[in-house]
Amino acid sequence: MHGSPVPLAELRRGESGVVSGLDAARMFGDSSAESAALLARLRDLGFVAGARCEIVARMWLGGDPLVVRIGGSTFALRRAEAAAVQVLRHKERPSPSAVLVAKDASAATV
Amino acid sequence: MDTAVSASPLRIALVGVPNCGKTALFNRLTGSRQKVANYPGVTVERREGERAANDGSELRILDLPGTYSLSPTTLDEAITRDVLLGRVADAPAPGLIVCVVDAVHLPIGLRLALEVKRLGLPMVLALNRMDVARRRGVKINVERLAAELGVAVLPTVAVQRGGADALIEAIQPGRWAAQRNVTVPAWQETTAEDAEQTQSDLKGVLEAVGYSAPVENPWFGRVDRLLLHPLGGLMVLAVVMFLMFQAVFSWAEAPMDLIEGGMAAVGEWLRGSMSEGPLRSLLVDGVIAGAGAVLVFLPQIIILFFFILALEDSGYLPRAAYLLDRLMGSVGLSGRAFIPLLSSFACAIPGIMAARTIPSWRDRLTTIMVAPLMTCSARLPVYALLIAAFIPDESVGVFNLQGLVMFGLYAAGILSALLVAWVMKLFASGTLYSPLMLELPDFQWPNSGNLLLGLWERVKIFLSRVGGIILALTIILWFLSSYPAPPPDATGPAIQYSFAGQLGAALEYVFAPIGFNWQISIALVPGLAAREVAVSALGTVYAMSAAGDDVAGQLEPLIAQTWSLATACSLLVWYIFAPQCLSTLAVVKRETNSWRYPLIMAGYLFALAYLASFITYRVVSAWA
Repeated sequence: MHGSPVPLAELRRGESGVVSGLDAARMFGDSSAESAALLARLRDLGFVAGARCEIVARMWLGGDPLVVRIGGSTFALRRAEAAAVQVLRHKERPSPSAVLVAKDASAATV
Repeated sequence: MDTAVSASPLRIALVGVPNCGKTALFNRLTGSRQKVANYPGVTVERREGERAANDGSELRILDLPGTYSLSPTTLDEAITRDVLLGRVADAPAPGLIVCVVDAVHLPIGLRLALEVKRLGLPMVLALNRMDVARRRGVKINVERLAAELGVAVLPTVAVQRGGADALIEAIQPGRWAAQRNVTVPAWQETTAEDAEQTQSDLKGVLEAVGYSAPVENPWFGRVDRLLLHPLGGLMVLAVVMFLMFQAVFSWAEAPMDLIEGGMAAVGEWLRGSMSEGPLRSLLVDGVIAGAGAVLVFLPQIIILFFFILALEDSGYLPRAAYLLDRLMGSVGLSGRAFIPLLSSFACAIPGIMAARTIPSWRDRLTTIMVAPLMTCSARLPVYALLIAAFIPDESVGVFNLQGLVMFGLYAAGILSALLVAWVMKLFASGTLYSPLMLELPDFQWPNSGNLLLGLWERVKIFLSRVGGIILALTIILWFLSSYPAPPPDATGPAIQYSFAGQLGAALEYVFAPIGFNWQISIALVPGLAAREVAVSALGTVYAMSAAGDDVAGQLEPLIAQTWSLATACSLLVWYIFAPQCLSTLAVVKRETNSWRYPLIMAGYLFALAYLASFITYRVVSAWA
């Protein structure tokens, strides 16, 4: 684990990380009841601190929506939703081969 | 046996997250003894079934909509919470909750179970998909889980015969007699502290039961790499959709010929064995020519539903929703609208009802408004008839020309839906954010038992339509086409002097510019009640127009001779929009709780249908 938390939406395909927290302000820049409900739902789906997650797929042009694997389940999230999830990257800006290494490492721990 | 006990059946509610196998378990518990209705006031589907308990009393089993949490974000999820709290009229709070948890994905289901348990209602936990969990190396100490939760935990395999026996034993009314009169639980909104408490409880229980996550199936990852690829995934989706429509046309051919032959034989036999008179005319021209003409399309409808149900069961549909989210978002729809819209290919009514799973009201409204543009199976008979009559059965490369035209008609419906949604977006004010947060479930082979049960449900609905509304309308139309009888000095066919003939002549003024003759104009009227009746109405009208005994038994060669290509194309295009379905409009009224939207829908569909048919008729006339 390296560096400070980044929004999940910034991870590339194949990159993985560990959730450090949820940030409502990242979602709509406010703390309305609506965004609170969305955060609560993210938490219910398993986006809680300590959960390991991996980006499985991203749409072209900005990764909206994207697909995340977390806690054995897979979810499609909009970019705005994924932006509210703070994660610690497994590696800073990995090269393609580093991604493979990271995946092997995560496979070994499961 | 205590009669008071059998008078008040134990009410059992199945609760669980989406994709936990809850409905398969419900099927296992109730078999075919189930009925589908709506909750009062809303159109959330209410699945209820019965099962005889060991003591002879009834178990009433309710399959509640799947939810991740008791803090709802959609209408569906709100219903689940409200039924549990006894807040829904006609649905008293259940005497026993069966919380269904997918053992493969224990954490997400267990979190909901902890939340439900806090309501204080009697509860057992069904630990479902145990077979898959074992295969994938999931470790759960079941005894410990029961001890931690303080409820009975029953391992189940819903898709296996006998896979729910332990659960069935646990839900016998004798065990729950004390709880027959349940006090409705009090409800407090979940606070952030509650949520955190649940999370830490969850963590504790997972550790206590020695839970280990499932081994990843390497194939799922590989398949998803293709299916979720921005380009490759869309190509696979296009191929799947295309194969589906080709199959609807080519696989159905043999059974359709069989039904058609059977109908013709019955008609001939009746004609030969009965004396000339109104009753013979009613049976042969009305019932057989009319309702029989619709029955022929049963095989195509079965094939279409087979694909939809199998795709749903396999876990593919949410992936398609993900792929299309961006595209659909650009015209103001959500990717979540894909599943309601795909159901609309079978019938717009369940499609419009499925739109309730879309959290944002505006997305939901747009989905509802464009759902009728998806070519429903009721339009299939009309398309199939016209294509068989006017489009040559030739090969174009590897494809069949008739299948291609059919695909084109479906595509035209989809494109107009995108266009209408885009126009609606222009009129909408502001840009509201709507969530996606869609689970992509693990792939699985569709379960044949559940598939057959789903198909059987659809066949029943179709047959009851043929035997009910379609038959009734056909008989009314036969009556209107037979009376009053023509004057003795009449020269033309008798139907021209009847009520229907007069109505058709009047409507012809409206429809002549788009190439419809009076027979088509008449057929459009009963088509208001059900679109496929247009075919049976044409069958009856043409059977009645023919003089004496030389009635052509087959509608298809008859229209092929008498209609121009331009008229046929115009009618095909008319049915892409086909505004005439009263039950769809009634459901829209109920869903949106206002007359405004059904009226707008009827208006815009009629305008589009007329305009498109007018252009088609003029263009084809000029060319042909």
